[in-house]
Amino acid sequence: MKATKKYQLSKLERDERRLGFLLLAPAALLLAAVVVYPIAELLTNSLYSFRLTRPGYRFIGLENFTFALFEDDRFLHSVLNTAILIGVTVPGALVVGLGLALLANQPFTVKWPVRLGLLLPWALPLVFAGLIFRWFFDYRQGFVNWLIELAGLTPPQWLSDPRLAFVALCVAIVWKSSSFMALILLAGLQTIPKSLYEAAEVDGASRFQQFVEITLPMLKPAIVVALIFRTITAIQTFDIPYAMTNGGPGTATETMAMYIHKTTIDFLDLGYGSALATLMFLISIAATSIYLRHTRRDTGRG
Amino acid sequence: MSKHRAPFAAAALALPLAFAALPADAQQTNLRIFVGGQQRPDVMRKILDLYESRTPGVRVAVEVGGATSDQQQQYLNTVLTSRDAAIDVMLIDVIRPAQFAAAGWAEPLDSYLGSERDAVMARYLPAYREANIVNGKVIALPYFADAQFLYFRTDLLEKYKLQPPKTWEELASAAQTILKGENNPNLRGFSTAGAPIEGTVCTFLVPMWGAGGQFLNAQGKPDVGTAAGKKALQLWTDLKASGVTPANLAEIVTDRIRVDFQSGNLLFAMQWGYAWNRFQNDADSVVKGKTNVVPLPGFAGNQPATCIGGWQIAVSAFSKNKAAAVNLLKFLSSPEVSKMQAILASHLPVFAEVYQDPEVLKVNPWFQFARNVVVTGRSRPVSPDYPEVSEIIRTNINAFLAGTRNADQAIADMNTRLARVYR
Repeated sequence: MKATKKYQLSKLERDERRLGFLLLAPAALLLAAVVVYPIAELLTNSLYSFRLTRPGYRFIGLENFTFALFEDDRFLHSVLNTAILIGVTVPGALVVGLGLALLANQPFTVKWPVRLGLLLPWALPLVFAGLIFRWFFDYRQGFVNWLIELAGLTPPQWLSDPRLAFVALCVAIVWKSSSFMALILLAGLQTIPKSLYEAAEVDGASRFQQFVEITLPMLKPAIVVALIFRTITAIQTFDIPYAMTNGGPGTATETMAMYIHKTTIDFLDLGYGSALATLMFLISIAATSIYLRHTRRDTGRG
Repeated sequence: MSKHRAPFAAAALALPLAFAALPADAQQTNLRIFVGGQQRPDVMRKILDLYESRTPGVRVAVEVGGATSDQQQQYLNTVLTSRDAAIDVMLIDVIRPAQFAAAGWAEPLDSYLGSERDAVMARYLPAYREANIVNGKVIALPYFADAQFLYFRTDLLEKYKLQPPKTWEELASAAQTILKGENNPNLRGFSTAGAPIEGTVCTFLVPMWGAGGQFLNAQGKPDVGTAAGKKALQLWTDLKASGVTPANLAEIVTDRIRVDFQSGNLLFAMQWGYAWNRFQNDADSVVKGKTNVVPLPGFAGNQPATCIGGWQIAVSAFSKNKAAAVNLLKFLSSPEVSKMQAILASHLPVFAEVYQDPEVLKVNPWFQFARNVVVTGRSRPVSPDYPEVSEIIRTNINAFLAGTRNADQAIADMNTRLARVYR
């Protein structure tokens, strides 16, 4: 109290401060309505037994969480599945995306065909991509098995073999997400000054050395940003597996988001579903903070 | 809506209201009915046109959504959990009334039916009367019945001088004979639903019941690890090993069976009644006049079984026009509409007398025995948590058919998880 009394705001300053709060209020209220309220509701529900098919709304503490973490094999399995998809598709999309970005960065005289090719997969809704790839990998009518039969081999059942289903899912997800990666990386590539390459050429550096010594380090901030976005969306992977395998065979390709969807929308178990969603939320926050710590240290050094 | 927003809302509404007020009939009631793509929305439209012509002042819009029972239910789950009044009347699968009653989504019809209640309900086939009464309350009224039958190709069976199979063993040997003789790489012997969808629940229950098994044991708890449960799984293993079922059975959805049969690539199919009409009338059907239907096979020495299906009509508890909606319901669940559906869509009637109607029999000669199948058909487990029960069975059967889980693992997982639901 004493500290604040020492410095009295003038009337003008107080008016300005009030105006400032007033101007911030709509944004703050909107954020509270669409972000803070749902999260608070989610956290509350996760502590209750709340199932629409049974009467009652009963406080049960952390029971939903202990069940998920220690008893529910299916949830742990869905976390593992999501981790596999992240582990394969995030680096996969980075490599393919980097290749596409380097291609699009070439001094073509006509730039639009490459850029359009980059944008199309990104513009396509996820479910469509899933449906297209489901047809692609269909056992009897699929394009992939048609090629395999042409080559005289026995066509496999892509979507009802757990390992092959993962391969098919990863191909679809990498195809769909690498263009987004490429867009971010392309923006990064275009900020690298040409003079650096000219200087390197004068010093006799090869194209590969230029790539390793100039392009990659200069591109690092863009790569980190792209990885953050891709990892967060990968944690929430839903649409493509939903359309392609619906989690099958059995629950072999079910992701966290799909299990949460099933628990809340199909089983109407809002309490347990909220607990699962809270766990997914915590995983997302953890992944983001790891990346952010990495970038902060990086900019501090630079 | 909160008070301070009222002026904005009033301004926004003023214009359309001004136009709406112009026509003379201010009494116009607008209803909205939700129908799935598989329940012939085109036929529903014809029925509603008739209703509108007889009931001045009522307009009914059809909203179509969801290619499978599960997708329809997902949509309704979202609409009804948010207490949305947009939908007044909806078709619900025969397995859902218990869930709708528990969640309070369907308006109980007892008070609307009043003293007629028992007389109205007595008209229906017993299975459908019982399916729609939950804890003594009428939750919905039957729209059409359904059951799974064995469809077969009459031309191929005649060519090899074979009789329609009565047991699974006969089916397997007939299919092997014909597949061998035809030597057509596109022809498959027998198909049923195997993907993780609702129909796959019956793929397990039908042979389990057919082997004399029950879903609930004497203590009222689920147990699928019985001899009958194991026999059911063994049946699919054997049919797959002998090449009778398609190798990708685990990817097959209900309507895919219809498409395969219709394009002449399937000899036997375990399929619902709706497919008959498509086989006879669709432009791309190559099996017109070459198809017949018999009850599903059983195991030698046991009574064959079938799953009953069918669709019910319920009034949303959040509708703003409940009285008008109930009137529509009474019409849609009448013998007259049942007959229209039978003729236009080969939907199985929920009234015994409609099965004997000469006009109906002319279009659907197989209705003569279909009634007996429907009457002896079995209901899938009744539970407010049916969606979870169904999911437990279908994901395990799907994994089993795909070969990623063996019979013991599938049965153990089903029993563990079912016990949790029935706890």
